[in-house]
Amino acid sequence: MLCLAGYSLYKTYTDIGQEIRVLKGTNLEVECGDFVCITGKSGCGKSTLLHILGLLDEPDSGKVFIKGEEVSTHHPLANQIRNQQIGFVFQFHYLIDDLNARENIVLPMLIAGANKSVAFQKADELLLLLELSDRAQHYPNQLSGGEQQRLALARALINHPHIVLADEPTGNLDPQHSAEIWNLLQRLNRELGQTFVIVTHDPELAKLAHKSYELKDGQLI
Amino acid sequence: MNPAEKLFLERYIQSPKKHLWRFSFLFMVLGIVISVGILSTALNLFEGYEHALRSVLLDSFAHIRIEHINGNLLPDTLISSTLQKLDTRPEIDSATPLLTTNLMASNGTKARGIIFNAYDVHFANKVNYAKYVKEGTAQLAKGNIIVGKYLAKELGLSLGDTLKVFYPRLDNITPLGLYPVETPLIITGIYHSGFYEYDRTLIIGTLQDARILSGIKDGFSCLEIRLKNNFTEDINLYAEEYDKMMDSELVALPTTNTTLLRLVKMQKWLIFIVFFFLVIISGINIISGISTQIYDKKNEIAVLKALGAPKSTIRHILGYQVTLLCLIAIILGLILGFIASWLIVHQNIYQLKGEVYFIDKLALYVAPLNQILIFFLASLLVFLCVQIPLRRIDKMQVIDLLRNP
Repeated sequence: MLCLAGYSLYKTYTDIGQEIRVLKGTNLEVECGDFVCITGKSGCGKSTLLHILGLLDEPDSGKVFIKGEEVSTHHPLANQIRNQQIGFVFQFHYLIDDLNARENIVLPMLIAGANKSVAFQKADELLLLLELSDRAQHYPNQLSGGEQQRLALARALINHPHIVLADEPTGNLDPQHSAEIWNLLQRLNRELGQTFVIVTHDPELAKLAHKSYELKDGQLI
Repeated sequence: MNPAEKLFLERYIQSPKKHLWRFSFLFMVLGIVISVGILSTALNLFEGYEHALRSVLLDSFAHIRIEHINGNLLPDTLISSTLQKLDTRPEIDSATPLLTTNLMASNGTKARGIIFNAYDVHFANKVNYAKYVKEGTAQLAKGNIIVGKYLAKELGLSLGDTLKVFYPRLDNITPLGLYPVETPLIITGIYHSGFYEYDRTLIIGTLQDARILSGIKDGFSCLEIRLKNNFTEDINLYAEEYDKMMDSELVALPTTNTTLLRLVKMQKWLIFIVFFFLVIISGINIISGISTQIYDKKNEIAVLKALGAPKSTIRHILGYQVTLLCLIAIILGLILGFIASWLIVHQNIYQLKGEVYFIDKLALYVAPLNQILIFFLASLLVFLCVQIPLRRIDKMQVIDLLRNP
């Protein structure tokens, strides 16, 4: 079953009067349980594609489907879709500095209106799964880069999204922490059947995915 | 309230030092504390002034005077019949016949015009001056007087000294003109009501001495009426009533300067409006503080948007932080206002000029209603100033925030 799909996606940026066409009719289909990597040169539009698929950005034209339903940033339930059907992991962890690890994880669930105690129970399970239980009360600035990224991953997973979109999740980490995160993503895909679409500039890591695409001249090949 | 908003609010309240305090908020908080403090100080002092003036005006003066319509003296028979008419009135605390006359007083080379008041001894237990006699005794005997504090000071006199009192007698004409009567009187009491003009001109003596000095053998200048405390708000009303029930030759006049009290009250609110502008100016700091906060937190705003938080939730999360801080600042401002006004009242550096302000001492009165009003209006201003910049969040595009971290 198709979990996520994007068809005929076009996107053009205007920079100092010059038009840069980054997506030229890009198509992508992601099956549920897939582990998909998208590679490409810097500035080729990988992140733009991910943002469009995650309803963070609007394509000039083209359509995005999640579980068969057409969605867009203008969808009346766009916030709800982002909250419950999509999980995001960014290159920079973007954790909330004022909240500790446990509170950061529960945030999407609380935004959805969930009961606080249920949300924290779920957060504790994720902390255990991601081997961060001893860091539950730590604030983001008290965690290492790898731990911060694992925390961001736990936050992305708490609402059981259909798909997790990760934009260079290891781009800011040293090789050791980078390998840790990749192993974790693969484990979550394997054990929980979680669908991942991951953007990376590293072709070697992309080889570990079920499916790997390269974005070149605005097309996935 | 969304559970996410509640989580942030709980964190702000549980650990305000960690979650509310930012250096960028310093000037915002200082602005509110100082402006609210100044406003509160001004209002506390002016309220104190109004209360002190009101108390002095109502307490040290008779409230209504019944006089002859032509300014003639009131014969004893008319006084008696008038007192009988007033006897059943429940609002009247005391009605005392008074003989008052303008005299000249001197001590050596120093001389001053004075008012000599003498009350009928039969009613002496009902006159109000006794409680303002701060030195000496309020009991008067022939040849003794009670002198206003500032009059004694200006003439260089104190208890036990002799004051010479002069009165030009129209029935004592000499080839050199009117020959004044000169009587030495001993000061046995110093009067200090707090009302400057009264304390500077008043002498209270016996009726016997007043009759000798003025040459008036019978009758009184007027009948002084004091109302009970509960009825002092309606002095003018009662004066009108008495005016109607008296003989046609008598007139009842309110003596309390209600216009002055109204003027003071109006001044108080004018001061409130003027100083509230300071609070409004501090509101600009709030807008600036929030704008800085939005800029500092743009990554968090982006993440919250990416996590599907509605715009209102993001506005609330940031708004609660600054609003809470501002509310704390307002309370601190009110405390500062109280401390500052207390210090101003209890210091000995600045004294009110009695000839300008009628009373000679600053007073502090913290009216709960004023504090509530300041808190409510300042909170309303804070709420508005917080909302204005927060609207920017609605226009912020998550993708712009993520591309330009």
